[in-house]
Amino acid sequence: MTQFNFGKWFGTRAISILVALVFCFLLDKFMQGADKSYGRFLMSLAGIYVTLAVSLNLINGITGQFSIGHAAFYQIGAYTGAVLAANKFSALAASKPLLWLLLSAFFGAIAAGLAGLIVGIPSLRLKGDYLAVVTLGIGEIVTIIAKNQKSLGEAYGLSTAKIESVFLISLLAITCIAVCRNLLKSAHGLAFLAVREDEVASAAMGVNLTRIKVTAFVIGSAFAGAAGALYAHTKAFVSPPDFSMDVSFLILTMVVLGGTGSITGTTIAAIVLFLIPEKMRDLPYVQMGTPLGVAIGIIVAVVLLRKIQENFHGAGSQRLARNLGAVAIGAVVALVMAKILIMIPAFQGQINGALFRMPVLAVTLVVLMLLRPQGIFGHHEFSWSWVQKLLGKKAPETEVAA
Amino acid sequence: MLDLVSLNLAGLDFTTLPQQLVNGFLLGAIYALVALGYTMVYGVLKLINFAHGEVFMLGSYGAMFASWMLGFGPGGSAVAGSWVTLLLMLLMAMLVSGASGFVIERFAYRPIRNHPRIASLITAIGLSLLLQYGGQAFLLEGKKQAITSKVNPFADDFVFTPKKADASLIAEAAKVQPEVDAAQRAFDEQKKLETSIYDLSPEGDRLNKVLAAAIAKRDDLKNRADTSAVTIRLPKGKLIMLTTTIMLMIGLWYLVMKTRMGRAMRAVSVDFNASSLMGINLNTVISFTFILGSVLAGAGAMMYSTFQSAPIDPFSGTAPGVKAFVAAVLGGIGNIPGAVVGALLMGVAENLVTWAGYSSYRDAIAFVILIAVLLFKPGGLLGSNKVEKV
Repeated sequence: MTQFNFGKWFGTRAISILVALVFCFLLDKFMQGADKSYGRFLMSLAGIYVTLAVSLNLINGITGQFSIGHAAFYQIGAYTGAVLAANKFSALAASKPLLWLLLSAFFGAIAAGLAGLIVGIPSLRLKGDYLAVVTLGIGEIVTIIAKNQKSLGEAYGLSTAKIESVFLISLLAITCIAVCRNLLKSAHGLAFLAVREDEVASAAMGVNLTRIKVTAFVIGSAFAGAAGALYAHTKAFVSPPDFSMDVSFLILTMVVLGGTGSITGTTIAAIVLFLIPEKMRDLPYVQMGTPLGVAIGIIVAVVLLRKIQENFHGAGSQRLARNLGAVAIGAVVALVMAKILIMIPAFQGQINGALFRMPVLAVTLVVLMLLRPQGIFGHHEFSWSWVQKLLGKKAPETEVAA
Repeated sequence: MLDLVSLNLAGLDFTTLPQQLVNGFLLGAIYALVALGYTMVYGVLKLINFAHGEVFMLGSYGAMFASWMLGFGPGGSAVAGSWVTLLLMLLMAMLVSGASGFVIERFAYRPIRNHPRIASLITAIGLSLLLQYGGQAFLLEGKKQAITSKVNPFADDFVFTPKKADASLIAEAAKVQPEVDAAQRAFDEQKKLETSIYDLSPEGDRLNKVLAAAIAKRDDLKNRADTSAVTIRLPKGKLIMLTTTIMLMIGLWYLVMKTRMGRAMRAVSVDFNASSLMGINLNTVISFTFILGSVLAGAGAMMYSTFQSAPIDPFSGTAPGVKAFVAAVLGGIGNIPGAVVGALLMGVAENLVTWAGYSSYRDAIAFVILIAVLLFKPGGLLGSNKVEKV
């Protein structure tokens, strides 16, 4: 063990913060201009989804509390931002938009954090599936209340000031990642992991179960609330369907797909999963046989991959070659089946390709769970030593802080 | 600010309360059929089968296609049919649901049975999304149209009136009756002289007005007498529904308690690994449980779409699915009597909320009750580790 070097410790952190700020600033500058309006919107949504997924990962993946109502806190933040902007701070929102956006995120975080505290203290006594059910119910209750309150615009929703800021949104995402990552590397974070691995054992070792669970819940929901407030201003409009059960499931999917507990995995999965439906919006009309053929191809590939996973224990490269071969066979089958199926008159009807956004998401989910239930990254994180190992160099003795 | 809390008890009409309780009980019986599927699967596999609502949806499509095959075309507005039609629809719904439940278990849940439980839960969510949105793409081809299957040969109701109408008002209405008869006679006399009812003479017009006033007076008295009474209507279709539900539940009880397969199911629910060591074929038992639960959901779906006139679309399984799931958890998930009790409670609560004039909150009440119960009794109403799980 080397001695603690304050200069190095502080320097690394100062540089990290500076790099993050410069990155956000450059991203914002790059996204300016009228022709980049759609790109700016996508970038904002990506940042919001990353925040949501990483904050849920803190609850689900790191602390192991199975919450499936994350959209409730997202919604509370969004409505807080929208109501305050419409009623109390309309002058500030008009004169100093960025300052208001910052305040709005803060208020959203406070409101959602409080809601998380109120929900968390009683319900975190429940375990496993029961907690899942209660959080699901809270998500539904919040949506139904928003749908019926006159002051919240009922089913029509609320419109609010449109303030776009890629800078703040990406900063929020990076802050969320940094908080979760630093929590994991600290002594407090080990308690979170201990609760995930074994509640009874960690309680026996002196971990205060309720405090850890409620802390994770409050931090997670506060970040979701901040993301919600920023979302309300990015879209300039909030309505109950934006926060339905499907949104909760989508965020949960991002967490599980990336690997529960892996911040890197969750971030990547959030961006990918949010982009798949967005990019499929402008698909053309396809003949009905084509998606059926693709489905058959996917089934063939999955069956082959599972056979390889279970029965082949050779070297890594051979395994990779076989896996790629299985995928290729699946692709060929998909192509052939699509060609054959569209010869049958019953499958010649036209379907809007954009309708397949959600089915594709669902198929991705099921296939990934069948092939790799622990998620893409499992419990692993991205680190520079891992990159060096991949490049064939020896890993350094001490890990460089990323 | 909160219009939620401004409860108005004075404005409630207590004469319709018994009717709402009966309606809630009938709705709860359907939820119970669906909840049994959730609770049995959970008891055996410790898995929340989120795709159960979609199995329910497929069952209602099965019933609808059966009614189409029997000649009740798309839209099915005909209120006709026969016993045989209903029976065929019920069998078709159960067949479709049971088959889909089997396929889902065989190809989605079985391969990942030994993985962490979160994997099977995510698979369940994925399957549920796939069936909903895939159904939207293929079954509706993008058109958001809902279909109702309304093949119900038993359109008339049984009417019970436990509390009679106000006697004095009825007597008054009876007193008015001779007046009405006289006015009717006078008008009929006059009408014989008129050429057509559409161009009445001034005299005919006057007599017609007198008649209308007399009838209105009598009807008003009758109406006031009626609203002071407590009337319960039992549609015959819903009674058949209740009978079928009770028969299916008795069948289920017999199956679980008296047969070899039922004993195997109970054994698996007590200890998964030990029962396989005792020579129980886990795959068979789990498949059987899934099929059993799905068949019950199919029966519930047929009744829900026919007798409750619920619309059928790829998303129509979500709401009853979630409510039945909440009912199963409310009663203590894994506990068969608990599921039935929870479902009945849920149906009654939902109708009471509608009766109190907060029908837009009827989907929230399920969760409010659930959370309230779970906070005080974390195992559900009847659920605890002592109670035998199936």
